[in-house]
Amino acid sequence: MLSLVDLHKRFGDVVALDGAGFDARPGRIVGFLGPNGAGKTTAMRCVLGLVAPDSGEVLWNGSPPTLRHRLRFGYMPEERGLYPRMRIREQLVYFAALSGLSRAAAAVSADEWLQRLSLADRANSKLEELSHGNQQRVQLAASLVHGPELAILDEPFSGLDPLGVDSMAAILRELAAAGAGILFSSHQLDLVEDVCEDVVIIAAGRVVLSGTLDELRNGSGYRYLEVAVGGNEWSPDIRGIEAIVGVTGRRRYVITADTPVDQVMAQAIAAGDVTKFALEPPSLSDLFREAVAR
Amino acid sequence: MSAVRQVFFIARRDFLQRARSKAFLVSMLIIVLLVAALGPLLALDDETPGPYDVGVVGVEPAGLEASLQSAVRLFDRRAVLHRYGSRAAGEAALQSGDADVLLVDGREVVWLEEPAPQLAAIVTGAVGETERRRVMDELGLSEDDVARLMAPSPLDSTTLREPDPEAEPRRVAAYAGNLVLYISILMFGQFVLMGVMEEKSSRVIELVLSRAQPRHLLAGKVIGVGALGLVQLVVFSVAVLIMLSLSDIADVDLTGLGLRTVATVFGWFLVGYGFFSVLYAALGATISRQEDTQGVAMIPVLFLLPGYFISFVALEDPDAAVAVVGSLVPPLSPLVMPIRSITGGVPVGEVALSVALLLVATYGLIRLGGRIYRGSILRIGARVRLREAWQASQR
Repeated sequence: MLSLVDLHKRFGDVVALDGAGFDARPGRIVGFLGPNGAGKTTAMRCVLGLVAPDSGEVLWNGSPPTLRHRLRFGYMPEERGLYPRMRIREQLVYFAALSGLSRAAAAVSADEWLQRLSLADRANSKLEELSHGNQQRVQLAASLVHGPELAILDEPFSGLDPLGVDSMAAILRELAAAGAGILFSSHQLDLVEDVCEDVVIIAAGRVVLSGTLDELRNGSGYRYLEVAVGGNEWSPDIRGIEAIVGVTGRRRYVITADTPVDQVMAQAIAAGDVTKFALEPPSLSDLFREAVAR
Repeated sequence: MSAVRQVFFIARRDFLQRARSKAFLVSMLIIVLLVAALGPLLALDDETPGPYDVGVVGVEPAGLEASLQSAVRLFDRRAVLHRYGSRAAGEAALQSGDADVLLVDGREVVWLEEPAPQLAAIVTGAVGETERRRVMDELGLSEDDVARLMAPSPLDSTTLREPDPEAEPRRVAAYAGNLVLYISILMFGQFVLMGVMEEKSSRVIELVLSRAQPRHLLAGKVIGVGALGLVQLVVFSVAVLIMLSLSDIADVDLTGLGLRTVATVFGWFLVGYGFFSVLYAALGATISRQEDTQGVAMIPVLFLLPGYFISFVALEDPDAAVAVVGSLVPPLSPLVMPIRSITGGVPVGEVALSVALLLVATYGLIRLGGRIYRGSILRIGARVRLREAWQASQR
């Protein structure tokens, strides 16, 4: 298990981490969320030993990871990059060997990944000769080619088309099913909701919310209500009820324990033919907004 | 996974990638062509020069041919006399290169461009001798007197020192070896700089450093590129040694001299490249854009050039004070000591001191450059100032 314990890190005047801490368990997919500049990348770099925290510690199975432990981690940096003029198979073999695999095992694993990502026929192409999408796939393979016990993926879904997203999600699920811990950051919250089981939300260098997706949903004091009358959006007339308008113009109402839902329903029925009356737990976007706004 | 194994994989990658690069392949091709072109030049130099072609027009002094042949023998050369019917025909022969000089009526010498001093002395001496013979005939001197006047008893000659037939070949070898060293250190040092910079500009550095320590990456790169430098030196040396063993200058063991030169160049490449590659790597880590390369690539050259200039002093006088000091002080020594070693006898202790001083300087540079490398290698974008890099590495 990976544990981040009370991590602090400043870069000059900028506070990147301000007591961040959470766990990532084996076999689980953890979505690591937060606004830009919240400290996600710095926290991930601390895990990989690329950044030394000012205080606090990173623990792997209860003790600080050595370089040998870290070779069992897989990392996909936010700033993608491989050797542009190196052939992709050689590149995968190189990174696998650098992580401790024998040359023979590295070659076998590289070929498996090329096969799996449908790149076997491009094995001897230089990276720079590949399309952007294929370069992304090689990047993923380079991160995972040594069969890591823990995968740290910084924005793995960014820049992928829907098919790419599906195959990336499938690979992450497969890895987790095989027992690897997975920590990935993302801005695409709907996507995270589909893929991950655990969520950590970080804001201003501090973890503001963490737990399983279900726990967090059930733990929220809010529900979201959407009502349509006669096929049209309809607004209740109740003091203190707050409307949220999404980017698409979709209007929803925040329901707390004090909101008289039965009154809303009565008003709607009185207004006409109720075509929609949806009372839902918060989506991940809602949880994110709640947590970050706190 | 041992660090040694990681360093090996990193070195292997850098070696293979650079070996396939156009810059390296072109440089190898140039070397092979250069050595191939040098062979015939050496062979030409070895040939004895051909005879002088002396054109004669108009009145020919009596006994000119005999006088000419005896005068030209003093210079260990031969002469061939060509007689032309007119001055115009003689000048045409000068123009076409069939004659080296034209003697007109025994009074005037005509050259194509500049007079050649040796040939001028030969022709003037020969004409003078015919004139003296004519005057002696007029005076009615006996054959004995003529002989005594024309061939005075020769001076005894003694030499204090045997000439060293190897002196000139040694100078040439020292000069060539030094040039190869200078180019190799510069070229492979710049390969290290480019390699470090490219890892930053392609952003692959973060992935690599998530697997390997900066110092292991640095060591692997320096070793990989350095091994490639050695391969190039081996190819070059083998080509030169083959060429030398085929050419043949009397009294000189060219192959032995070649082997000594090659051994000196190899040794000094190892220690000299060791120092400069770390300097190049540290500087390469401070930049991540191609356009910043020129600015930082100049800095090691400023350290390398003084040694290169002092090496010319050492070539003329290996025991000059500046040459002796330069051959001991890093980072001048890698380009000055080899010249002194090849041209003259340098005590082993002095060479050992020079190498030891350079190794100490390299160790200091590894400590300093390693910190700069660590402090700047993950910072992408604008050039990292050395002070910032130093401070960042302390964190």
